[in-house]
Order: sequence, then C-alpha cells, then structure tokens
Amino acid sequence: MPKCIIDGREAEFKPGENIIEVAKRVGVEIPVFCYHPGLTVVAQCRMCAVEIEKNPKLQTACSTPAAEGMVVHTTTPKVVQNQKAIMEFLLINHPLDCPICDKSGECDLQDNSYKFGSPYSRYTEERRTYLDLDMGPVIKKNMNRCIHCTRCIRFGDEIAGIHEMVAVKRGNWTEITTLNSKELTTEYAGNYADICPTGSLTLKDFRFKKRSWFLKKTATVCEGCSRGCNIEVQEDGNTIYRCIARENLEVNKYWICDEGRFNYHYVHDSARVLEPATKGATAASLTSTTWEQGLEVARNVSAGKKVVFLVGSDLTLEEGQQILDFAKSKYTSAPVYHFGTPTVKTTQEDGEADPILKMKSKTSNLNGMEKLGIKPFDPSFTGAEVAIVFRGGRAKLPELKSMKRIGVGVFNLPQVESYEAILPSLSFVEKSGTIINFQGKEQKLKPAIRPLGQSKAIAEILMVWANGGKKA
Amino acid sequence: MSDTMDETVETMFIQHFQEESRPLAYYLKSMDGYKTVKKAFGMSQDDIIGEMKKSWLRGRGGASFPTGTKWGFIPKQSPKPKYLVCNADESEPGTFKDRDIMRYTPHLLIEGMVIGGFAIGAHVGYIYIRGEYAREAKLLDEAIDEAYEAGYLGKNILGSGFDFDLTVHRGAGAYICGEETALLNSLEGKRGEPRVKPPFPAQAGAFGGPTIVNNVETLASVPFIIKNGGDWYAKLGKLEKSGGTRLFCVSGHVKKPGVYEFASGSVTLRQIIYEHCHGILGDKKLKAVIPGGSSAPVLTADEIDVIADIEPMSKIGTMLGSAAIVVISEDYCIVKLLRRIAHFYAHESCGQCTPCREGTRWMWDIIERIEAGHGRDQDLQLLLDITENVGMKTLCALGDAAAGPVASFVKKFRADFEAHIRGGKCPNA
Repeated sequence: MPKCIIDGREAEFKPGENIIEVAKRVGVEIPVFCYHPGLTVVAQCRMCAVEIEKNPKLQTACSTPAAEGMVVHTTTPKVVQNQKAIMEFLLINHPLDCPICDKSGECDLQDNSYKFGSPYSRYTEERRTYLDLDMGPVIKKNMNRCIHCTRCIRFGDEIAGIHEMVAVKRGNWTEITTLNSKELTTEYAGNYADICPTGSLTLKDFRFKKRSWFLKKTATVCEGCSRGCNIEVQEDGNTIYRCIARENLEVNKYWICDEGRFNYHYVHDSARVLEPATKGATAASLTSTTWEQGLEVARNVSAGKKVVFLVGSDLTLEEGQQILDFAKSKYTSAPVYHFGTPTVKTTQEDGEADPILKMKSKTSNLNGMEKLGIKPFDPSFTGAEVAIVFRGGRAKLPELKSMKRIGVGVFNLPQVESYEAILPSLSFVEKSGTIINFQGKEQKLKPAIRPLGQSKAIAEILMVWANGGKKA
Repeated sequence: MSDTMDETVETMFIQHFQEESRPLAYYLKSMDGYKTVKKAFGMSQDDIIGEMKKSWLRGRGGASFPTGTKWGFIPKQSPKPKYLVCNADESEPGTFKDRDIMRYTPHLLIEGMVIGGFAIGAHVGYIYIRGEYAREAKLLDEAIDEAYEAGYLGKNILGSGFDFDLTVHRGAGAYICGEETALLNSLEGKRGEPRVKPPFPAQAGAFGGPTIVNNVETLASVPFIIKNGGDWYAKLGKLEKSGGTRLFCVSGHVKKPGVYEFASGSVTLRQIIYEHCHGILGDKKLKAVIPGGSSAPVLTADEIDVIADIEPMSKIGTMLGSAAIVVISEDYCIVKLLRRIAHFYAHESCGQCTPCREGTRWMWDIIERIEAGHGRDQDLQLLLDITENVGMKTLCALGDAAAGPVASFVKKFRADFEAHIRGGKCPNA
C-alpha cells in the first residue's frame, strides 16, 4: 500500500482516498463542515484546508486524494489561521442562539468554534436574517443558523433521489430552501436534521423536548423492516426522545427512513397494554389484573384445547426459539406459524420497497423465523380453537376467526379488545436479542430503556406459564 | 480606430473593426477568410498544437495561461465527446475587447474555433456569451448561419471529413460564469458555481467530456498563428514568452478611451495613457490606474512606467489580466471607487464557499460605512485582515479578485481612507 505522512505519522492509504479519511485512521482529526463521507465532495466550507509540502496554497483535505510520499501538516500557523478565519466568517452572521437551539451540545459549528474559533467578535455590521417557510411535518428550518454547507441539498439529490432542497439567490444572499418553497416530500427527511452541521434543520418531533447532553445513547438496530438499519436510541429518565441513524456501510450507510426513525413512538403510546389484562367471566372488555391471574386465565383458556402458536416476525431469534421449545414441551401437537407483513410471507416475496433503504417486509426478523424453521401463517387456517399470539410491536395481527385469543407481547388496547388475555412483554428497545436481516446478517438488539409498566420478557412469562399455577 | 502600431508590425484586428467587416463576403475578400482552416486540415493535430505552443499565445481572458499547452492537456482518446467552448462572458469590469471581435469579425472567431476543434478532436463547440451582449449574440448567430450555408460549419467541412457544430449559448448575467467551470455548469443548465478542481476541464469538462475553454480573443488569434506560423506570432511580441498583439480596453478619465491594439510588451502604461489616449481628461493629474480589469491590484501614478505585459505587471504585484485599463484622475474619490468595486464582488460572489460568501459582503459593508462617514480607526486593519483571510483561500479565483483591489487600495491610498474616517467625509468633496 502507498504511504503518506500526516503530522509526522506514517499513514497507508488506498488510491483515491482523501486526506480526511486517511488522517482519521492515524488519529488526526481534521475539522469539517461541508464534507460528509456519504455525499459528494464540494470543498465549499474550506474548514479542512491543510498544508501540503511543496504546495504554496492551502489545500482542502476533502478534495485532495492522498498521494505517495505526500507530507501533510494540519496544525501549522497557516492552517490554524485559516481555521480561525473560517470560524469568524461562519459566525459573523450566525445568531449564536445556542441556549435555545436544539442542536446545542451536538453541533459541529459549536464544537469547532470551541476548538478553533476566537472568543471575540470583530463584526459590527447588521446580521443577515431570513424568513423561514414551513417545511412540512418532519423538519423545522431556521435559515439564520445556516452555514451554507449544502449537505442537505446533496443528500436530497444523491441519496433521497429528490431535488427538493435547493440554493436560491447568490453570494451572501444565498438561501437554502425547498424548491418553490414547497413542503418536503421525501420519506427520508429526518436525515436532513442528522446531517445538518448546525441547528438550521432540526426535527420537529424533538423540538424543545430535551437538551441533547442529557440523552443516554444506545447503539441498536431498527425493527421497521427487514433491512435492520443501525440506529442509536437516545433516552433520558427511561423515556425515548429520539432515534438517529448509525453508520453501517453494509446495511444502511449513514441513513434511516422516517418510518423507522419515528417508529419508537408506539413504545410510549398511552394505549399500550402494560399490565396483564383479562376478560373476566362476566366482563365484556379487558381489565387489568395480576400476573398470577393473567397467567391462570391463559392456562385455563388453552388447557385441553387445540392450540396454534403465532409468532410475530418482529420477535428475536431467541424469543422464537423459546416459543418453539414451550410449544413442543407444553402443547405437543400444536403448530407454530409466523406472521408479520400480510403481503410478504416468505423471504422470497421480500424485496426492496424503494431504491434507497426500505424493504417490503415491515418486520425485522422474517429471515430469522425461516431459519428457525417456522412456516408462515395462512389466514384461512381453522385447525385450532385457541390462538396464542406473540408479537413484538410491528407485526400486523392476523384475523383469527372462531378462535379464542391470548396475546403475549406488545399490543395497543384497541387492537386486542376481543382477546381473552394479554400478557405484556417487551418492545425492541426494552430487550436484547438477535435479528437476521434480508442480507442474512445477524444483528443485536440492545435494551435502551428498562421494561415499561409490568411488562416482562417472553422467556420469563413462558417459564411461569409452564411451571407455575395450581399444582395438579 | 487606432494608428498606434509600430510601423513594421501589422495589427491583426483593429483595422477590421468597422461595420462593413461583419459579413462573410468581407471576411473572405479582405481577411483571407477560411483559407487557414483549409491549411489546418492538411496538418496533423500535433502540428497545430505544436505551432500554438511555439506562438506563445497566452490566454487573453485574464489568466494568461499558454494556449498551446492547454490544448496539449486534451487526451487523444476519450470515451466521451470532447468540446471546445469559447468564453465570451467578458464580465471583468473595464473589459470590452471581445465585444468588438464578435461585433466586427465574427467569422474570425468561427474559423479559429473550427481549427481549435480540429486540433483537439472536438466536433461540438459552444460560444458562451454574456446575457448582456444581446446584439453580439444575434450577430454571431447570423454569422454562424452564413458559415453553415457556405460549408464552413457542419458535416464534412470543405471536404475534409471533419464535422464541427457550433452553437451560441447566452448567459443570464453572472460574473462568475466567466470562470470556466462555472461557465460549464451554466452551459449544462446548472447553477453557475465553479467546480472543485481537479478534475480540470481538459479531463472532465462540459457534460463530463474533455473540454477546452478559451477566450474570444484567444480563439480569434488562432487563424493568424496557423496562417503565418507560431514563430512569426511569437516574434510579434517584444518580450520572451508573450507572443502576438494584444487588445487593450482603456476606460475612465482619459481623453480618448477605447480599444487599442499593441504588440505584446511594446508599450508602457504611461505611453498608453499619455500618448495613445492623449492624457487625462481636463489635463488633471493622474491618481491611480487599475491595469487589468477591476480585480487587478491598483497602481499609483508613480508606477505607470511599467511595460503593459504579463511578466512586468506580475513583477510589481499586479496583473495584466484582461488588459482592461481603468484610469482615475486626481479628483475622483478613491474610497467611493473601492466601494463600487467591493459591491460588485459581493454581488457577484456565487456564495458556495465560506470566505468569499461572507468576506466579500463584509468588506463591502465596511467600505460603505467608511465612505458614509462612519468609519473607525480599526476598520483599515480589519479590512486588510479580511483580504488575507479571503485571498488564496477560496474555491475559485473570485476571492482573490475581490481581495486584491481592497488590499491594494487600502495600502496604497491609506491617507484617503484615513481622511474619510477622521473627517467623516471625502476631503475632495
């Protein structure tokens, strides 16, 4: 491999790699604003300018490929002076409203200002201001904070495949806006907020909800479809405030869709059943009860009946195996089927739902259920009197005609009013486990919050179901 | 128009700058029109580029890059079509020579482009003309029609087997589209913003194909070079590495402004101003000279004995640029002039890169404040700091173009600025 020298450190590189990426590998961080590894290089912000020996002008590290024998310096007075100048230029028209800005604490402009900027301002002219139009339900725009890096424009053009973010006017008056001031239409709009290096594009969903430095972050995997995008779930006080994309070049690169980003909301939905609930002998609707009674009802409803087990393909491999074991040991002849997306019953039927990330299967572990040997559920099935339905939170509940129903997992009350009993279990952010995406890649869920309400792990529920109750 | 040439040297352009020279008939009769392209078809591509290199023709748009060398950068084989683009954006303030070429001798440009297209292997050419030149665009279109009809453009030109199509593309009035990569973006229908280089246009230019972008005067000089040889052209110039004659655009406070043609390196600024342009209006004293378009650092009255050519200008810290000489007399407010120039660059910055977008406006604001009588002592140092932070730091040369005049005006005419700051108004007013 060819080698270059960056700040005295020898660095190997692949031909074509730019100086920023090579430097990163040997522990030299070059500050950037407009550069993003997932987007084309435009060299506009000029923050990454470095000194290259034998070159009289500073060169932008983003647009300069490393070359054999190249000697790069990133901390010389010339480089530092440029960084200071760029920070000054970017801040003269910036409102500096960090105290009320949602980006504060995770803002490239703020961080680079702290590291490279001057504590004093020499600007006494009137600041440039813009009026902001509404950009639709996902993104809140604040153009006054914008530093014209054009990441959003490039994201739209190159990743989302839609030319909706544009630059209008020219020079100092350049405004980054939507084409013809229309609302955003891409189903990937949340990424605009992820990649914005300032508080210019923020999530309406997250607006004024939480200071970013209070958020605890958990690296996990999205359950929105069979791609399994890598995400970071951010919580405080056992409440999730936000999901953002996490880099995985083999699965989702740097992006997630809005459906996946906002999917977590059901976890905190007020209609989620968080206590065991049963339909008593007389009651027409589900009523909260204790775990003992809930399980007792479940046992009684299913005892001595023909039972079918339905496993949501939104559950983990481990949960699937536990259910199989339970069905085998306790309900010997009972069949086990999986359900999830009515139109996608097998991995053969799965495929890309759009050219970006979304898959047709709206559950995360269809591949895993097949690996466990579980067959898809046929809605015309009538061979049982009782269905025990296990569900993670995404799988679409099948219609179950003329069967009594017991639910184990995550349900909203209106979905399960006809059920005999609900035993609340964990959503994807409350548990650990393994899911297999459409590529066959095993990925791990990690719990971001503690189980809500009285919900328990499926393993624990089945253990008590099998071993507890009245002794015969 | 001008009787200014050394007796022994022919002028190439200026004697033809008259209305009757426009049609094809005149070009064929009085300028040996389209004979040179026939000669070129008999030469190899390497021979033509070789003559261009020998000629020391240096780009007349402002950067003075040797044209032959530029043509040599075009790859012989290319999977994508190659293009020859004429930069007729002529947007550097003070420059108006290309307009005369297009207005009076459009066929000279067309013939130059056919030869250029043949030399680099391009079958498509564009003339990107600034939007304000509506009349010239129409004249070019008419000339192109004439040339198609007579078989000098189109398929199998003069039986050579070489095809060349030429189209006029009008800009929408942006200075930045004179920068060659912004021009190409604009030509492709995109926002007129300069591209990151590399790749240079010779590798990936218009529509991704190898592209040469040359100024009007540059391309219009090609027929003379191929007709008479590169050595002949090089010898027209009086200095090393600077061949041919050159059109100068003189404007401002002189008695006889206009377009002049001199052999490269044959005259000083003083000769141009006082001999050829008959001195300053009203016989006032000279205050300053902008020697190469508004982006060239300004010269004081003491600095005009410099030879008006590429290297001598560069040696004294300014540039010949597009050879647009703006002459300023003693009674004109230098702060007002710089405010106007700074406004221009702020207005014309494309806005994509930070130092130019923010710096050009900031400089303009400060200078405007000084002119309005609200300047402060620290403003001058601040202005110089900003020019340091903008110059050589931007994506294209517009940042340098904006910083150069500000730095040179403030350094060379500091007393004028201080008088505005301390007195609150122009001392000359």
